[in-house]
Amino acid sequence: MRKREAILFYLTLTPWLVGFIAFTAGPMLLSLFASFTDWDLLRDPVWTGLANYQNLLNDPLFWQALNVTATYSLFYVPLDLAGGLLLAMLVRPRLPGMGIFRTIFYLPTVFSGVACVVVWLWMLNPNGGLVNLVLAQFGIVGPRWLQDPHTALVSLVMMSFWGWGRSMAIFLGGLLGIPGELYEAAAMDGANGWRQFRYVTLPLLSPTIFFNLVLSVISTFQTFTGAFVATNGGPLDSTLFLVLYIYRQAFELLHMGYAAALAWVLFVVILVLTLLVVRSQRFWVFYLGERADS
Amino acid sequence: MKTVFRLLTSFVLLSLALAACGAPPPPVVLPPVKETVIVTQMVAGTPEIKIITATPAPTQPIPTAGPGSGSIVIRAGTGDGGDGLTPHQQIIQIFEDKNPNIIVQLEPVSGRDYYARLLTQLAAKAAPDIMQVGDDGVPSFVEKGAFVNLDSFIQSQKFDPSIYLPGLLDPGKVNGKQYLLPKDYSPLAIYYNKKLFDAAGMVYPQEGWTWDDLLATAQKLTKTDPAGKVSQWGIQLPAVWTTGFEYWVAAAGGRLISQDGKSFIGFMDSPEVIRAVQFYGDLYNKYKVAPPPADLNQFGGGNAEFANGKAAMMIFGRWPQAGLLKNPNISLGLVAPPKDKVRANVLFWGGFGISTTSKDPKAAFTFLSYYAGEPGAQIWRNWALPAVKSVVESFGLTKDPIEGVWLGELNNLVPRAYTFTPYWNETADPFLRKVLETVLLDHKADVKALLTQAAKDGQAALDKLTKK
Repeated sequence: MRKREAILFYLTLTPWLVGFIAFTAGPMLLSLFASFTDWDLLRDPVWTGLANYQNLLNDPLFWQALNVTATYSLFYVPLDLAGGLLLAMLVRPRLPGMGIFRTIFYLPTVFSGVACVVVWLWMLNPNGGLVNLVLAQFGIVGPRWLQDPHTALVSLVMMSFWGWGRSMAIFLGGLLGIPGELYEAAAMDGANGWRQFRYVTLPLLSPTIFFNLVLSVISTFQTFTGAFVATNGGPLDSTLFLVLYIYRQAFELLHMGYAAALAWVLFVVILVLTLLVVRSQRFWVFYLGERADS
Repeated sequence: MKTVFRLLTSFVLLSLALAACGAPPPPVVLPPVKETVIVTQMVAGTPEIKIITATPAPTQPIPTAGPGSGSIVIRAGTGDGGDGLTPHQQIIQIFEDKNPNIIVQLEPVSGRDYYARLLTQLAAKAAPDIMQVGDDGVPSFVEKGAFVNLDSFIQSQKFDPSIYLPGLLDPGKVNGKQYLLPKDYSPLAIYYNKKLFDAAGMVYPQEGWTWDDLLATAQKLTKTDPAGKVSQWGIQLPAVWTTGFEYWVAAAGGRLISQDGKSFIGFMDSPEVIRAVQFYGDLYNKYKVAPPPADLNQFGGGNAEFANGKAAMMIFGRWPQAGLLKNPNISLGLVAPPKDKVRANVLFWGGFGISTTSKDPKAAFTFLSYYAGEPGAQIWRNWALPAVKSVVESFGLTKDPIEGVWLGELNNLVPRAYTFTPYWNETADPFLRKVLETVLLDHKADVKALLTQAAKDGQAALDKLTKK
């Protein structure tokens, strides 16, 4: 019986295990190896030791890409959390028709990323795009958005607001999980709307916030589509995200070794940031019924 | 509850963090066909430039192996997309009717991803038998061992290479050996809208004109409305299209790289190149005769002023011509580009070759000699400039007021920078692009200082690569 169970266990695990080894663990090991070589895919790799990592430290474009990515993350993450929470609060009440609004706000997350970006491109077109046309109605001369190195990154942050639906969905799940009795009790004790939000909603939502925070940080460091489609890293490298730079090195220039080294550095950066966030949860994350560090 | 949640969270986080590096960038889903079709320049290789055609044609399904399978299958890779695929499909249809034992599968990948896709397919030894590559891609693909030398096939299969117009085989050659045969090509020229010239009571531009004439004409045709907004532009320019910019360099009498392909310093930063960049930037920023770039990237659709009848002239290749001729806003005329010090032009070229991973190069050549030969040119003629002499002659294209201009430009070509080094695209080109971006964004930019720096940066990148 136990043996049968064990066999069944491994049998059901196999598809995942095969996929994991073939498509995640295998390529990762290969890329770790590649990062110590000079390799263009077409010829055999040449072992170069740490050369790629040394070059990377002296590569101004790497630092630029890291800078762009970190700046984007710094703006995106708080806005994504606040925006997602705001939307979730708005669509929380169980009213007739609320499902429609939930769907509408969530919809952009389901759409193809490129299609969304193309729509934004049209809206942000400085010569007669919708945004600048509306601004012109108020006598404001709109900026050149994606074509100005000063506003391109800001424009990409703005475009990302469309993705609030993703964090909204998770927040909504968290909000609906908060027992209604707690609000009743708080109201009984004379807590107004803000105090209820501050002392009931926020603490009980903190695990969800934590989850969204980590998700957000990781996803910003993997930003690619917007920069690839809307700006291709320009103008003047002002939107050169790290993943876009890796893509260029790997698939446009075929510097596979160097790209692999960049990818591993990105991995370490994400890992460290994630660990920091995970470590921080003891100070601000509360689970219903127990403290996070107990 | 807590433990479960933490476990779950940690697991999700770990897999996400892993995915950061383990997974390739997300696949790019191309936007669906819009009201206007973005036609990437059909010569693969300079895909930053695109044009909105006025009358899009629906994309046709890709022909797949039909009944009668079991015969030889030849795969053909192309960077064309949208209605640019129609001629491919027509040629394949006719070829398959005549060669029932060979089935041709067209594999289109449009946009910037095409070369990346070919290279990964080559690495996986699964590249299409026939690959279409554009001019500046030829040396680097050949250097990577991607293409079969065609010389022996040309001899053994009695293919006559003299069917082509003079000079059109050269972009397919590396070190004197033929690797690709020409598909289509285009020099640059200046389109003009006769309606706007007539309305202004101006004569059409004439062959032999100069940069000064161009500027004067563009200034006269730039109109502002009472509110001070520009309502009509003199000339639409292709923003930071570096390869197209080589015309301006050549016309000013400059060059970007030394004859031996080893130096940018002393060339990219020469007075002639400075003059070219300055003049180009001034058309945008000082004289304000060119509409500001609508976008600096691939998916935006580019400027549409000329197509909308809001710009009197446009410098570009032949690619959007069919759409412009049908465009009701435009009564189309074409004139050779003006000279500054030199009467010059540059060639854009696309060709087909056989990949080294092809399992049946002989059958592939049978198709190639058809695809890029006289029968193919009969079809290409409806879409682009045909490369085959007899086709050009039988349709009297040299006498055509528009096609004749294009064909005449073949006598004014200067070699492009990529022909002097296989590393042009990854060394100096990005720095030249940066110079153009800076100059277009900042009208006070110091062109000389920018080019001096670009030449230095390009040189450093080149020296590093050639040392290896």
